[in-house]
Amino acid sequence: MQYLIKFSKKNSIRFIGHLDLLRTIQRMIKRSGLPVEYSKGFNPHINMSIAQPLPVGVYSSGEYMDLYFEKEVLEDHIKEKLNKSAPSGIEVLRVDRVKNVENKKVFKSMAEINAAKYIINIKYKDVSELKENMENLMKSENWNTIKKTKKGEKKIDIKKLVKKLSYDIFENRLRLETVISCGSVENLSPELLSSFIQDNTENADKDCFIDIMREEVYVRRQNKLFPLYEYVSKLY
Amino acid sequence: MNTISDDILFKVEKPARYIGGEMNSCVKNKDEVDIRYAFCFPDVYEVGMSYLGMKILYYILNERKDTYCERVFAPWPDMEELMRKNNISLYGLESKDPIKSFDFIGFTLQYEMSYTNILNMLNLAGLSVRASCRGEEDPIIMCGGPCAYNPEPLFDIADMFALGESEEQMNEIMDLYKKYKGRKKKFLRAVCHIEGIYVPSLYDVSYNEDGTIREFKPLYDDVPAKITKRIIKNFNDVVYPDKIIVPYTDIVHDRITLETFRGCTRGCRFCQAGIIYRPVREKKTSKLLEIADKLIKSTGYSEVSLTSLSICDYSDLKNLVVNFINEHEKDKVGLSLPSLRIDSFSVGLINEIQKVRKTGLTFAPEAGSQRMRDVINKGVTEKNLMDSVSSAFESGWSTIKLYFMIGLPYETMEDIKEIAHLSQKVVDEYFKVPKDVRKKGLKVTVSTSIFVPKPFTPFQWISQIKVEDVKEEIRELRSSISSKHIVYNWHESPLSYLEAVFARGDRRLCEVLIKAYEKGAKFDSWSEYFNFDVWVEAFKECNVDGDFYAYRNRSYDEILPWDFIDVGVNKKFLIEENEKAKRAEVTPDCRLGCKNCGVNVNLGGKCFEGAVFNKVQ
Repeated sequence: MQYLIKFSKKNSIRFIGHLDLLRTIQRMIKRSGLPVEYSKGFNPHINMSIAQPLPVGVYSSGEYMDLYFEKEVLEDHIKEKLNKSAPSGIEVLRVDRVKNVENKKVFKSMAEINAAKYIINIKYKDVSELKENMENLMKSENWNTIKKTKKGEKKIDIKKLVKKLSYDIFENRLRLETVISCGSVENLSPELLSSFIQDNTENADKDCFIDIMREEVYVRRQNKLFPLYEYVSKLY
Repeated sequence: MNTISDDILFKVEKPARYIGGEMNSCVKNKDEVDIRYAFCFPDVYEVGMSYLGMKILYYILNERKDTYCERVFAPWPDMEELMRKNNISLYGLESKDPIKSFDFIGFTLQYEMSYTNILNMLNLAGLSVRASCRGEEDPIIMCGGPCAYNPEPLFDIADMFALGESEEQMNEIMDLYKKYKGRKKKFLRAVCHIEGIYVPSLYDVSYNEDGTIREFKPLYDDVPAKITKRIIKNFNDVVYPDKIIVPYTDIVHDRITLETFRGCTRGCRFCQAGIIYRPVREKKTSKLLEIADKLIKSTGYSEVSLTSLSICDYSDLKNLVVNFINEHEKDKVGLSLPSLRIDSFSVGLINEIQKVRKTGLTFAPEAGSQRMRDVINKGVTEKNLMDSVSSAFESGWSTIKLYFMIGLPYETMEDIKEIAHLSQKVVDEYFKVPKDVRKKGLKVTVSTSIFVPKPFTPFQWISQIKVEDVKEEIRELRSSISSKHIVYNWHESPLSYLEAVFARGDRRLCEVLIKAYEKGAKFDSWSEYFNFDVWVEAFKECNVDGDFYAYRNRSYDEILPWDFIDVGVNKKFLIEENEKAKRAEVTPDCRLGCKNCGVNVNLGGKCFEGAVFNKVQ
């Protein structure tokens, strides 16, 4: 039995890395006593996978994991049990049964995701030039930057990976709301986008931490974006 | 409250060390408590969080409605720098409040080389490192743990020391404190009457011309001249946490620790724990299973480790292991055993537990020659070791680790060469196992550490081996090892010299410690921060000779700095043991008959309390 669990990784534990988060979630599931499936082998662990790893320092209200059960359990019951055993930084937001159909490829969140929405706050020492800077930036056709990969550095244009972007300017910060490519086909890290904007605007306070929240991840079908839970509960 | 902003956290190496909020951590309303207690571990989070004593005392203190206990660890130097730059004083992980305003700051003393971190943490808290310079309004600094059995090098750092097991004592201290809150001096005078409490400012020491102690005496008539360590007489029923903190980030021992018994009867002469934790007292299997069950449910851990000084001596071990596996196989919770003795019983048992995964096996013969093992009373023969490794090789292990000490008392170069010979015999044993039975890829790792004589052991009177001789011994050992299957790991760090100095030091070392700290010493047990030159300068400037403490043979009638502490074991017993060591004469396990060390008479606790039987298995 497969379930899609949507959860939040709260601000307070944003600095917990992916592996630590995995371990934390495994223990939360273990405490819940739910009849989950274990992997076979010498060192059995809970059969689960996280849809899209979250970079260290980023928090989220739109995380997903696939979790497998030995038998069918009511969705509300799963949500309640998990939340009772959750540590302070994690909250289960909703649970959807994944109805795998015979002869069809088994659903894997990881493989379905195409985009993600982020709220980004960047601090500035002075915002007087920021409006003009941003307007110019939005007009420019290419956003060329350097992406560091395991193999070395690569020059890429990230503009085409940004699907939507709106911004507001406050007293000492720039607030971005953006939907960008995410997943195994095309991916843009919110940090790369943020530092590109920092580098191409004046007076960004680079000594300050950039506040990034992931709000939702999406699946694209017929050129429309659907939140992952909606896709699973209605379309899949 | 301190605000530890993201602007700081994103710059440090492991931010999870500083955020708190973990599962089962205890957050209270500070307006509803009378006592705030900062439980400090003078090392980083991952090390401190692995320590069982903190889990127990954190639980006991927080069970009290009137007390709020929080955890504090030494910030890593990257965080320390940012804290100092941003005026963040040392805080409790739970409330983030500065610990300067707490009632108590407790430090656990697990190893001597963490002392400079204590000073640094006091300084980061905004307090003077010297007890004599702190005021009535400042928190009470108390220390406990194994190194508190020689508290003197910290005599002007801590206000009080707690000796022995604190489960009951801690509540007595808190109850008393409520009567004296705000009157530190009066409290310290009163608390010295609680058994096991040492208040150094209430005593005076004078010295002979040769530097040895002339007299150690209380300043007032009502202050006890002898401090007796505390023990828990009914160990089966003593409070044990039913929930422990589950860290977000990986720590050194990231599992449930189930304390099966305290004390050890083997009587190894180098081992301080074997004396100071006497007498042996056990928890019953039913109790342990009950505790394990609660902890598994409250934490979600999938590994339980059985702990004690030598786990195979637990009298009901087989029953415990079998029952545990039966109960928890279905929920996929595994069992692990940390310290194994060298006998085939142990190998059989570990085979049972780890049915499939064949990670490395570790054995500690401690010395290479039989004569040397008899000197240190490590009741293990070459045959024991060969039987064990042979059955390990037959069961599919091919990686073996062997631990030895060098610089043991009454050692000769012949004994050192025997380490190489013994390791070679382990290699030979592997090739005796038929090719189709043994697993490929034999690797025997030999590690040596340098022996540090400790208080309350039969070797407390003996000089440590000199650094030059260590080098010589290591050179000899390296040239005696020929097999390509043997990997030799060693260190010749002057760290063990400092350990020897502080382990048996007196009050005069307190100045040296403060001086070294002021010169920048911290995290001394981390090789990347250890700087011996700083210490050499500190000794020189304080006009203290480290060799006097490390390299001196004491006579039996010398007053030792820790003589005022009664651990239950008679000095006469330790002297006899040292004399037997000189003759390489073995003292059998006390399970084979009482050796009259005195612990059951002096402390009023029974040996083998709670054990199913008291025979060697």
